[in-house]
Amino acid sequence: MDTTHIQPTLTDSEVLDFCKNGYLLLDGVVPDEINRRAVEFLDNDTYFEPTAILAEDWFMEHVILNPAAAGAIRCLLGAGFTTPVLMSNHRVHMPREAQHWHRDGQSRYGPSLHYLQVFYYPEACTPEMGPTEVIPGSHYLFQHASFMGHYGGMRHSVKTAASAGSIFLTVYSIWHRRSASTATGVRNLLKYNYWRTAPPARDWIVDPDFDFQLADYTFPITTPRQQFQECLDAAEMFFWLCGKADDYRTMGGQGWPLPGNRNAPSAGFPGDPTAVTY
Amino acid sequence: MTREAIAAKLDQAIAELRAGTLQESTLAAIRDELAAGRTRQDLLYLQAAGTDLNAEVIGMRVFLDGELSDGPDDPDDWPYQTVLEAIRDGWRIIDFPNLALLLDESRTYAYGAEFVLEKIRSA
Repeated sequence: MDTTHIQPTLTDSEVLDFCKNGYLLLDGVVPDEINRRAVEFLDNDTYFEPTAILAEDWFMEHVILNPAAAGAIRCLLGAGFTTPVLMSNHRVHMPREAQHWHRDGQSRYGPSLHYLQVFYYPEACTPEMGPTEVIPGSHYLFQHASFMGHYGGMRHSVKTAASAGSIFLTVYSIWHRRSASTATGVRNLLKYNYWRTAPPARDWIVDPDFDFQLADYTFPITTPRQQFQECLDAAEMFFWLCGKADDYRTMGGQGWPLPGNRNAPSAGFPGDPTAVTY
Repeated sequence: MTREAIAAKLDQAIAELRAGTLQESTLAAIRDELAAGRTRQDLLYLQAAGTDLNAEVIGMRVFLDGELSDGPDDPDDWPYQTVLEAIRDGWRIIDFPNLALLLDESRTYAYGAEFVLEKIRSA
């Protein structure tokens, strides 16, 4: 399916926020009528991979190519991204205990972003319905999924409780789980992937005032990682997405991209005389 | 039987000894309970922001009296905000954080500094 006509919807700062958090929730972006049709379809096709829904024009137009979601995907994966060829449904009969924390199989770690894992709630998902829980920033954090079984409550996790018609985009390697549900009934959650087909480029909504040297790469949550490591990883992914992977380098110390109340731009920014090594 | 329970029963036996009322059967009962050794282990996993016992707990799971729990939804309501608080409540550390997981600064492995603690309860 041709996606080259999809227009970007995210700005520099929003792309950078995605690099920091590893996910983006777009609340209630799919029309109610489409949500109703999706639920009806999934009530008839209860297989855990209801890929046949991808043959429905109404679904492709309003969910897969939903302007808000596809626009964000266009920014993160570039022009001409591919649409999903596989659909999974995390259809849960509630109530249900929480799932183990995990990151999906074949996760890779690093600044590149070749695909996105996307989720769609056709119905509202309240905290009582066991929404997917994610740990912001954990897409940079390595652990085997099989060694996460003893993890439980996480201080900085976020439940993606959302309105009907919500779509959230994730970096594939983000840590997540189905949270515990106390409601009754059935909850659907569709999951699917988009893939990049073009080299990364800064062709989203460019903010002329955005300054790479002064931008805020700070991650707002205290994590168990080494101080400022999130800054470095987010900056590196942002550079990669801009097509500037080869330009990315850091000098250490108090230099870029660390935060600080400076009276001048930080030292060590790529291309700056202070970033030359001798 | 927990250490605290054993101590309480022995304290009672000492009191009875001093009062001249201690019976052989009292001591035999304590002996039998110890010999039976019917105990169960409670486990507490705490992921802390660092290896300091006073570092903030950022993750928890507990196996208490045969039941697993992630703790309350709100981390502020977790039973222990630091590992030190858990120790003060009688938990004993049986595994310290594996520092080998934390040595690569650029690629952090696992989630925080993990302490595993236990309590022993009577079955």
